[in-house]
Amino acid sequence: MGMDRRRPPEAHLPLRPVEFQVLLSLASGDRHGYGILQDAGERGERIDVGTLYRALARMAERGWIAPAGGDADDERRNNYALTDYGLGIARAEAARLAGLMRAARRGGLLPETAT
Amino acid sequence: MKGGGGSRNATAGNETRLSRRWFRLLLRLYPAEFRDEMGDALVDTYVARARAARERGGLALAGVWSRALVDSLKNGLGERVSPAVAWRRSSGWGRDAQLVFRRLRRAPVFSLAILGTLTVGLGAFTVVYTLVHQVLIAPLPYEEPDDLYYVWRDYRAFFDLDRGWMAGTDVVELARAGGVIEDAVALRSGGFTLTGDTDERPTEIDVMLTTPNLFGVLGVEPSLGRGFAPDEGGEGAGDVIVLTRPLWNQLGGEEEILGRELRLDGYPFTVIGVLPEGFDFVRHSSLGAPSGAEAYIPFDYDLSTTSPGSGAFAGLIRVRDGTPGPAVEAAVAAVGRVVDERDFQDRGLEFYPVALKPDMVAGVEPALLVVGLAGVFLLLVLLVNLASLLLVRAVERENELAVSRALGANRMALMRATMLEGAVLGMAGGAAGAVAAIWATSAFVSLAPPDLPRLGQIAVDWRIGLTVAAVGLLLGLLAAALPAVWASRARLSRLLGASAVRGGGGHGRARRGMVVLQVALSLILLSAGGLVVRSFAELLRSRPGFDTEGILTLRVPIADAQSAEESEPRHEAIQRELARIPGVTAVGAVSGLPLAGGSDQTTIAVPGAPGNTGVQETDHPLVDYIQVRPGYVEAVGMRVLEGRTFAPQPPEGRREALVDDQVALQFFPGRSALGARIVVNGDSLEVIGVVGHARLYDVHEDGRPQVYLRNGGPTGYTSLSYAIRSTRDPESLAPEVRAAVAAVDPRLPVSDVRTMEDIVSASLSQQRVSAVLIAGFSLGALLLAAMGVFGVVAGSVTRRRHELALRLALGADHGRVLRHVLREGAVLIVLGLLLGAPGVYLGGRVIRSVLVGVSPWDPVTLGGVAVGLGAIALLACWLPARRVTGIEPSRLLREA
Repeated sequence: MGMDRRRPPEAHLPLRPVEFQVLLSLASGDRHGYGILQDAGERGERIDVGTLYRALARMAERGWIAPAGGDADDERRNNYALTDYGLGIARAEAARLAGLMRAARRGGLLPETAT
Repeated sequence: MKGGGGSRNATAGNETRLSRRWFRLLLRLYPAEFRDEMGDALVDTYVARARAARERGGLALAGVWSRALVDSLKNGLGERVSPAVAWRRSSGWGRDAQLVFRRLRRAPVFSLAILGTLTVGLGAFTVVYTLVHQVLIAPLPYEEPDDLYYVWRDYRAFFDLDRGWMAGTDVVELARAGGVIEDAVALRSGGFTLTGDTDERPTEIDVMLTTPNLFGVLGVEPSLGRGFAPDEGGEGAGDVIVLTRPLWNQLGGEEEILGRELRLDGYPFTVIGVLPEGFDFVRHSSLGAPSGAEAYIPFDYDLSTTSPGSGAFAGLIRVRDGTPGPAVEAAVAAVGRVVDERDFQDRGLEFYPVALKPDMVAGVEPALLVVGLAGVFLLLVLLVNLASLLLVRAVERENELAVSRALGANRMALMRATMLEGAVLGMAGGAAGAVAAIWATSAFVSLAPPDLPRLGQIAVDWRIGLTVAAVGLLLGLLAAALPAVWASRARLSRLLGASAVRGGGGHGRARRGMVVLQVALSLILLSAGGLVVRSFAELLRSRPGFDTEGILTLRVPIADAQSAEESEPRHEAIQRELARIPGVTAVGAVSGLPLAGGSDQTTIAVPGAPGNTGVQETDHPLVDYIQVRPGYVEAVGMRVLEGRTFAPQPPEGRREALVDDQVALQFFPGRSALGARIVVNGDSLEVIGVVGHARLYDVHEDGRPQVYLRNGGPTGYTSLSYAIRSTRDPESLAPEVRAAVAAVDPRLPVSDVRTMEDIVSASLSQQRVSAVLIAGFSLGALLLAAMGVFGVVAGSVTRRRHELALRLALGADHGRVLRHVLREGAVLIVLGLLLGAPGVYLGGRVIRSVLVGVSPWDPVTLGGVAVGLGAIALLACWLPARRVTGIEPSRLLREA
C-alpha cells in the first residue's frame, strides 16, 4: 500500500463504479458493509455483496479506506473509514465526473442549469 | 403473517438460520484467504439484506438468495482468478501469528516477564540437559563402545579391596582367553618430564603407557601418521610415541613432527602419530579419579614377566560384538579363576568386568540424576506458571473473546490464537534460553570438577539448541492448552451476566489449582535444594585432618634419578632452599598430597600388640602407606597425638614410622603405641609417633588406616609433592618457589603449583556444582511460585473489588477485608504445602545418595523450607491484598 500512496490520486482514475460508491458513502461517515449497500441503494445503485467486499478488501489494501471503529485487531472489522488519501481520490473522481457533466451539458445531453 | 407473533418470530429465526447456512455454503466459492479475511462480514451483510427482503415477502427473500448465488459465482470465481489483494498473510495461521505479535508488543511487561522467566528456566534446563546428555547419554567416541569393559580384581575373599588393579600377567591371560573376549589392553599412566631435541624449558606431561593394541581396540586411528605396530611393545622395543592433538598443537602443530625425537625423562622417543581432534580417552582407576594423558607410549617390558602378585595396571577388554553382559561376566570370571588358582593358591581372588560408560559415570551419576530431576521439576513449575499467566491474559481478554464469539468467530480460531500465543512465547523463550545456555554452559565448564567425564565435550551444539527450542514450544503449547480451551468457551451471555460480580468462574478454580500445584512443586524442589546446600555446608565444615589455609603445594619430579636414594639429596637441597624463602615457616614433602595424590597400599602386621585378635585378616589390615620427608606433618598441620615426628636427619640403624589414630586404636586400644614395632612391606619399623588421620580421598570421610614412612628406601619416590606453610599469601610464593627449585637444578620441572585450598575446593567441585545448580533451581521455583500467588491474589482482588467494596460499605473494616483476602491465599498455600509433602518424602529418597552429613528428612531443613516458602508465599499474597485498603466503597459502587 505504501507504493500506492506515493502516486497522485489522479493516477487511479477512472474508478470502478463500486469504488466510487464506497468512497462516496464513507465521505459522510464511517460505515459497515451493509451500510454502504444501503447508501448506494438510496442513490438508486445496486451493488452485489461479493463485488462490494472484494472492493473493500482491495481498497483497504491500497490504503484508500481503513478498518475503523474499536480495536484494530478486533475480530469484527466491519466498519470502514475514509483515509485522507481515499478522500483525495474521491475528490479527484468527483472533479473528473463534474468535468464530464459539464461536457455533457455543452453537448446537449443534459439540460443547462444555472450555477 | 400467519399465526401469532411468537410463532412468527420463531419462523423468522429459522429462516435467518437457513439463510446463514446458504450464504456460508456460497462462501465456499471464494478462495480461503478471502473467506478468512472478509467471510464473516460478507455473510452478515447477506443476512441483513435477507432480513430486510423478508419484510417485503417470500419472493423478495428468494430473489436475494438467488442473486447471492449469481453474485458468489461471479465474484467467488473472479476472486480466484484475480484476487483483489495479494494475500501476503496467506493463511489463518499467518494472520493469527501477526495478531499474536501485535498483541505481545502491546503488552510488553507481560511478554517480557514470560520471556524472562522462560529464558532463565529453559537456560538452566539447557545447561543441565547438555550436561546429562553429554556425560550420561551421548555414546563414547569409540567404535562399538558398548563392547568395551574394564576388568578389576576383587580381593574381598581375603582383604578389604573390591576394585584392585590388574597384574600384567592378568591382562596377558585375558588376551589369551579367546571366546567372547577379543582382545585385552593393559594401561598405566604416569608423569614424565618432556624435553624437546633443543634445550627448551622442561615440562611435566601425563603419559599413558599401553600395550600396542590400544588404538585398535578402541577403533580409533591417528589422524596423522600411524598407531603402534604389534611389535612395538615389549622388551627394548618401546621408543615410539603418539601425541594427542593438544600436545601436538603445543609443540607447534606441524606435520613435520612425524619422525622427530622427543625426550621423556631424558630417554628419546620418535613421534610416529598424532591422534584426531576430540580423542578423549581416560584410564580408569581402581580408586580415585580416572586420568587422561597427553601422549601414549608402549610398555618397554613384557607384561608376562611382571609380578602376578602386584596390581598395577588397568585392564581394558573388547568383547565380541553384542555379547550380553552376563556372558562377559562369565568369561572374565573364568579367567579370574585361572589366575586365582595359579597365582593366589585358590584364596578366592575374583575378576569382574564393568562396562566402560557405567564405570566412567558411576561417580557422577547420582549427582547428575538429582540435578537432572531438579531441572525437570523446574520445567514443571515453569509450565504451571506459564499456564497461569496465559490464563490471566485470556481472562483479561474475556470481553474481546466473548464479543468475537458472539459475532461468529469460530471456536477453532480462538483456540488457535491462544495456542499460537503460547507457542510463540515458548519457542522464543526456548531460543533465548538456548542462547543464554551457550554462555552459561561455558561458565559451568570452567566451574565444573576437572574429573567430570568428558568435560571437554560439554557444549551446547545446534542439536541441543533445537531440542530446547522444541521443549520451549511444547511447554508453550501445553501451557496454552488450558487457557485456549477456556477462551474458546468464552460466552457473551456469561460475560454480560458476570459484569457486576465476576470471579469464581471456571478460570478462577483453574488458577487457584495452579497456585496449589506451584506451591507443591516448589516445596519439593526447595526441600531438595535446602538439603543439598546443607550437605555442602557440612562438607565445608568437615575437618579433613590437615590445614587447608596458608599452604602452597607443588610437585617436583626428578626424572633422571633411578631411585629415591639417588633423588633424595636434591630433594634435601630443594627443601632447604624453599625453607629459606622469607615468610616460610615449615616445608615438607610427600609421595601424595591429601585429596590429590592417592597412595600405595599394603598390609601391615603389629606382632605382639594387644589389639591382635588372632584372625588373619583383621590382624593384617590393608593400609595406605605414605612416604614423607621430615617437616611434612608440621607443614600441612596434621595433629601429633602422641610422641614425635621424623627428625631432620635419619637416626643411624633405626627405621621409624608414624601411625595414624586408626592403627593406634586397633592395635593399642587405651594405651600408648610408642615404641611398638610394625611390619610394613617386610620391614620392621619402630612407631615413634601417632598422628591424626589426614583424609586422602574424600574431604568428608576417613579412608583406610595410614602409616607414614620416611621417604628414601627401595620403595621410595623420586617425584615428591611439597607443602609450604608460610605467613604470606600462598599464591604470592609461586615465583620464589620456582626460583628456589631452579637454583638447585634448572632442568627440574615444577608442576601442579596450587594452594591447599584449591585442592580441597577441587575435590568438592562436584558437590559445589550440584549445590549451586539445585539451589539456583529452587530459588527460581520459589520466585515462580511467589509470582503465581501474587498474580492470583492480585487478579482476585481486582475482580472482586465490587464485592469487597460492598463488604466495606456494609460495615466491615479494611483490616477485616484484608484478612478475608489473605485467608483465601493462605488456604491455597497450605493446600500446596500439604500436597507437596509426599513429594518431599519421595524426593528425599532420590537425593539421599548425594547427601553428606544430613538426613534426607532432616526436620530442621525441611521445616525451615516449608516455613520460608509459606512466609514468602504469604508475602506474595499480602502485597496485592493490601490494595483492598485503597478501595473506596462509595466511589466504586457508584461506578458499578
